[in-house]
Parts: sequence; structure tokens; C-alpha cells
Amino acid sequence: MQIRDYIIRRLMVLPLLVVGVSIIVFALTRIGGSPIGIYLSHEMSQEEVAELEERFHLDDPVPVQYFYWASGVLRGDLGWSGVAAAPVTDVFLPKLAATMELAVSSAIVAVVLGIALGTFAGARRNRLPDHLTRVFSISGAAMPLFWFAILLLIVFWVYLGWFPIGRSDPDLWARIDHPTNLYTVDSLIAGDFGAFRDAVWHLTLPAVTLGYGATAIIARMMRSSLVEELQEDYVDAARAKGLPERLVLRRHARRNALIPTVTVIGLSFGFLLQGSVVAEIIFQWPGLGRWMADSVLRGDQATIMAYVLFTSVLFLVVNLAVDVAYAYLDRRVVLGE
Amino acid sequence: MTLVGSDGPAPPALAPAPVASVVDLRVHFRSKAGIVHAVDGVSFDIADGETLGLVGETGCGKSVTARSFLRLVPMPPGIQAGGSILFRPHRTCETCSGNGCAVCHESGRVPDACATCEGAGCETCAGSGYLTVDLLEIPEQDLRTIRGNRIAMIFQDPGKALNPALSIRDQLAEVFYQHRSAELLAAAAIDGEAGGPAGTLIRRKAALRSRLLEDALLSLPPLRARRNKLRAAADDRIVAALAETQIPNPRKVMDRYPHELSGGMRQRVMIAQALACDPDLLIADEPTTALDVTVQARILELVRELQSRHRTSVLYISHDLSLVRRVCDRVAVMYAGRIAEVAPAEQIFSDPSHPYTRGLLAAIPATSHERGRLVAISGTVPELINPTPACRFAGRCPFEAPVCRALEPEPKPTRDGHQVACFIHHPPRDAADGVPTFDRQVR
Repeated sequence: MQIRDYIIRRLMVLPLLVVGVSIIVFALTRIGGSPIGIYLSHEMSQEEVAELEERFHLDDPVPVQYFYWASGVLRGDLGWSGVAAAPVTDVFLPKLAATMELAVSSAIVAVVLGIALGTFAGARRNRLPDHLTRVFSISGAAMPLFWFAILLLIVFWVYLGWFPIGRSDPDLWARIDHPTNLYTVDSLIAGDFGAFRDAVWHLTLPAVTLGYGATAIIARMMRSSLVEELQEDYVDAARAKGLPERLVLRRHARRNALIPTVTVIGLSFGFLLQGSVVAEIIFQWPGLGRWMADSVLRGDQATIMAYVLFTSVLFLVVNLAVDVAYAYLDRRVVLGE
Repeated sequence: MTLVGSDGPAPPALAPAPVASVVDLRVHFRSKAGIVHAVDGVSFDIADGETLGLVGETGCGKSVTARSFLRLVPMPPGIQAGGSILFRPHRTCETCSGNGCAVCHESGRVPDACATCEGAGCETCAGSGYLTVDLLEIPEQDLRTIRGNRIAMIFQDPGKALNPALSIRDQLAEVFYQHRSAELLAAAAIDGEAGGPAGTLIRRKAALRSRLLEDALLSLPPLRARRNKLRAAADDRIVAALAETQIPNPRKVMDRYPHELSGGMRQRVMIAQALACDPDLLIADEPTTALDVTVQARILELVRELQSRHRTSVLYISHDLSLVRRVCDRVAVMYAGRIAEVAPAEQIFSDPSHPYTRGLLAAIPATSHERGRLVAISGTVPELINPTPACRFAGRCPFEAPVCRALEPEPKPTRDGHQVACFIHHPPRDAADGVPTFDRQVR
């Protein structure tokens, strides 16, 4: 079976998984309380409550309620967000863009840096670079995110004043159009390098906060699997062919060491989304995470459902990407299906 | 004069020299309990075109000896404690273009002349007049031009020695790109001297130096045609190499991954890879141990056939004496990090001189033995941590005498081409009494 067929097959299963996930999301939020809780107050009469329940189909059986919700989702109607005082769909996209800009830039840094550091350390096992990398990555994995974030905030914003918080300078933000709502991309489209610099400036602290933990985990995994691969016979065989050490490492050992690392990379994306809640709150980043935290505290169920559904689907996609990367790196996966 | 054979007959100083000589090789390993003397003073020659068997039980140091040729012993924990491995690289004979003639003694290959003395014989070439390098001393860069090119290696388990993530084509192509990049460019009709960024790019690609971005550039239309021509040139060579090992349908096999092939096929791929650059010396480290018995015979046959066709010298490592008998011209028996006996293959079997060799031969199960009973050498292999000077076989030897515990026997010639490290054959001068003899013992 070719990799292409494998991807097509996996894509065909994806919608089924999404339906399954949506049922679980719906059921779990329903367990969490009534969706109209956010609109109720003590002054309301029984009739008014009943009227609200009827309007939101809460007097129907739960499966029917699910269909109302699901068909809404399909039509692009995710409900009304009490916290944002606007339809969820309207608020969701700009905030999603903000979070994605943060998460993706952290992920890119984490993947590139994590693999590079892990390779660097693994190829120099038990020598000074390996020990230094170990210190770096163990502290990254062990440090609580909120603490590290506050530390960065105090040092670089409060004391040194090198980096700002928030997402942008309001003047610069207003100066350009925002077709994608990704500030870095928008500023590049507009050709405004002042705005681009501002975007990167604001992105740095939250991205470092978020990326450190993931970098650490990826580097650890990469290092240990590379050390393992370097003991394999095929590495000696590659040397016996006359390949320089650089190629032995790059073409042979690293490629195989990436297989377990790719799994960790997929998992660390979840870590990034989870961390984005903390990072967004501390650095005043107007993303999904912050909105989500507010919504949970105030019982804004439409938002919670939209967010959980979205993250679940995102996970499915990341998972698929990991599996495809896996199949690409290790052909035995495709054959084993 | 730089090229032997091109300026008339070779001078008298250029008598045939061994393609490789191991001289007093010592490889030790650091361990918690002390220094393990895994290889402790091993010397032997590999003559041009011969197959030398290196036999011994597990842990006797034969694999470490073999890996030392290509400096594949990891250091640390390994320690290069001394000795040298002299190697005389060859090139294709110009007179016959590798077909075999009088100049190259029908081998198709001639050794390069020593650069220092131009064939007169000096210290650098150990008096042979041929270009001689010490594999343990030369810089890594020079060693890499020998690895896979002049000396190739076949590993024990082809399932492990092939990279599971790369296709057979990718793995074989590396050898050609690494060592034959100029020839590939010529075969692909690409001007190897072409200037400009395009020329540089394709040259870098052919020498495995291209980076990710350069590869991306080469896959784009203007440069793509050239890259494909280069690939086709490499493919032709890969197919030829695979076909030589009698792999059916080499063009198809090329696109396979190691896990899609059987053990025998994988070993054929390994052999194709090893012989790709027509090496002077092939090191086969137990090439059939991981294979089924039925496949073993065929692989063995293949190695022998290719060896006679390419006239490659082979160092064949095995613990299986019956295999060695079938493929080797001469046999070196190793025991506990030292050479016990070296002799022509037939002599080893018909007339073994060292008590250890005798024990080994007696241990081969034969139909004449009583059913259900296996003969073994009594005792166990000694610990190799900080050994005292004594015969390593003392304690297990049926002919042991006091001198065996006090002195270490060196391999010395007994008769034509036969060397034995045993006091039975070479009584030490100052210890006339207490010398073991075969006569005192009942054989």
C-alpha cells in the first residue's frame, strides 16, 4: 500500500470520529449543568424559565437536543456567548487566530529546537553538551508553566522593560488590515515591517513560555532515542560504507530516532493548547484560552462546547498528521495495516 | 614513477606483498572490573586474493579484530592499546582494465607504489615498495576513502545492518555517491567541471553534500532533468550490483524496504553493497550465522563465487569450522584474544597442532560419535581482565606443563605456512624441563 492510499483511508475515517467526538462533547457539557444557567437570575419567574427552556429546546429529550445543536454546528451556528455578548462564531475566529499564532509559533520553535538540541546532545552522549542540554530540558519539563511565565513577566516586562505584554501596539494594529487575523502574517501582507516587528515583539514572551516545556520534552525524547539508534548495527554499517559522521547521523540515525519523537511532538501539541490558557491570561493575550477560562468560570456552555469540539477536532487532525509522519518515517507501519 | 605496471615490468623489490597485515594488534576495553584485554597481540597477514578464515568461540576477539580494520570499535570504552593494521590499497590494472593479465598476476588489480620510496622499499611501506597505510593511524578523512571503497564489510545480521527507514536503492546509492561521484557524473553525461551554481549544485548532490534546501532546488524543473540523469546513472549501477548477487528482478527489489525482503535477500543486498566499489578486502563477520541453514549454503556459495570473480581478498570470520573449511584458503584460530594457530585450511583439519584446535575439531558433532553425546573442551574461557603472562589455554589444556603458567607462547612457524603458539612445538630455551609434549599424554 502506498502512503497516499494510507492517507486517503485515514481521511475517510475522520468524519466518523468527529461525530463520535461531538456526541461525547455534548454529553459531557450537559452533565456539567444547564446551558441556560448563564441567563438565569433569582428575579425570574417559573414561567420565564420555562419559556427559556422551550426556546432552547430543553424540554425535548437529550438526543433531540443533540440534533438541534449538531445541525446548528453544521450551519455554522455555535450559539450565543454570554461572556463575549456576541454569537460564538463571530468571536471565535479572531480569537482562534490569536491562539493559533501563539501555539503554532511555539510549536515550530519547540520542534526545530527540540530536535536540534536532542540530536546535538545524543550525538555527544555523556559529554558536556549532553549534560548542559539535560539541565536545560529537565528544568523545562519540571518548571510549572504559570511560575515560569510570571518569572519572565517580572524580569523582562517589569524590570527590564525589554518586551511588552498584550498582543500589539494599538496604533500599529490599527494601521494595517487584518485579513487573516494572524498579526505577523497580516503585517507581512501589508508590507509593514514596523508592524511585523511589533507582532514578533509581542509574541516573544508568551511563545517562549509556551515553547520551553515542549522543547524540553521533545529534546529529551530525541536525545534518548538517538542514543539508542546509534547503538544499532546499521549505524556501523553506514560508517563502514565510508559515509562521514555527519551523514551517518543525519541520514541514518536521526531519521529512525525521529519515529518515537514524532509521537511526543503530537502529544506536546495538546500540552501547548493547555498551556496557552495560562500564557494568555498572564500575558494578556486575547486568545481562545483566556475566553475559555472566563467561560468556564461563568458557565457559558455554548462557548465551552465550541472550544472543546474545536480542540477535539484539532487533536484528530494532529493525530492524523503524526500517523502520516510515522508512516513516512517507518514504512513498516503502512505495511502492518 | 608513480604507477606500477605503466613503466614496464615491476622492479624486483616489488614482490607480492600481503594486502593487509595485522601486527601485534591490541584492543582493550575499560570495564568496572578492570581492563579487558579482548584482543591482545594478534598478528596475521592476508595475502592478495586469498580467503583467510578467522575462527574462535564467542568472545575470543575475532569480531573486535575485524572491526578494528575499519576502526568501528567504539572508543571509549575501547582502548587502542597498540599494534597496527597495515593495508595496501589497490587500483584497477591499466594494462588489462581489470580483466586479468600477467602484470597484475591475473588479479585485475595492482597495488599503488609507495609514495616515499617509489617502489624501492622503505620504512613507511614496511619494505614492500607498495603504498602502505596504517588503518589505525591515518586521519578519519583518509579512512573514509578506504571504508566501503577499498575495504568493505558484511555484517552478521543483515536485518539489523540495513537501515529499516531507507529503501534498498537509497542505501546502495550512498556507496556510489560517496566513492564514485565523478564516475556517476560522467555516466550521466553531466559536465563535472561545469561552472555556475547549477554545476555546483549537481556536484554537491552527487557527492552527498547537498542540504535540504539544495535538494528542493534540484527537484524543480530547470535542474530536475540533470538530477534525474544522475539518479538514472546511480540506478544502473545499483541494478548491476544487485544482479551480480543473483537477486531476481533487481529493478523491483531496489524500491523495496529491508523488512519486505527475506533474510537471504537482505544478505545478498548487503553483499551487493559491500562489493559495489570492487574492494581489495572484504570482511565478512559471520555472514551466515543469522540465516537459515538452507540459505546459508547459498550465501556461502555466492561469497565464494564473487570472491573468485573479483579476486577480492576475504577475511571470513566464523565460529563454524565446517563452514570455514568450505570457503577458506587459510585459517587463523583465535583463543581468548590471541592467535593460537594459523595454517592452510586443509592442514588445520588434517593435522591440527594446537591443543585448542584439536579440541575444537573434536567438538564438531560427527556421525561417528555415539548418538546423543557431544564432545566439549573441559573448563571455560578465562577472564580477560588484566591477564598474567601465561598461555591462555592453560587450565583447559590436556597437555599443560608448569611453563604454560609462567610464560606466554608466541605464534612461531612449525612447517610450511603453519604457525602455532604452543610450547609443545616451541619449547622455551631456558625452561627445558617441564615442557609439555604430546608424547607424555595419551592422545
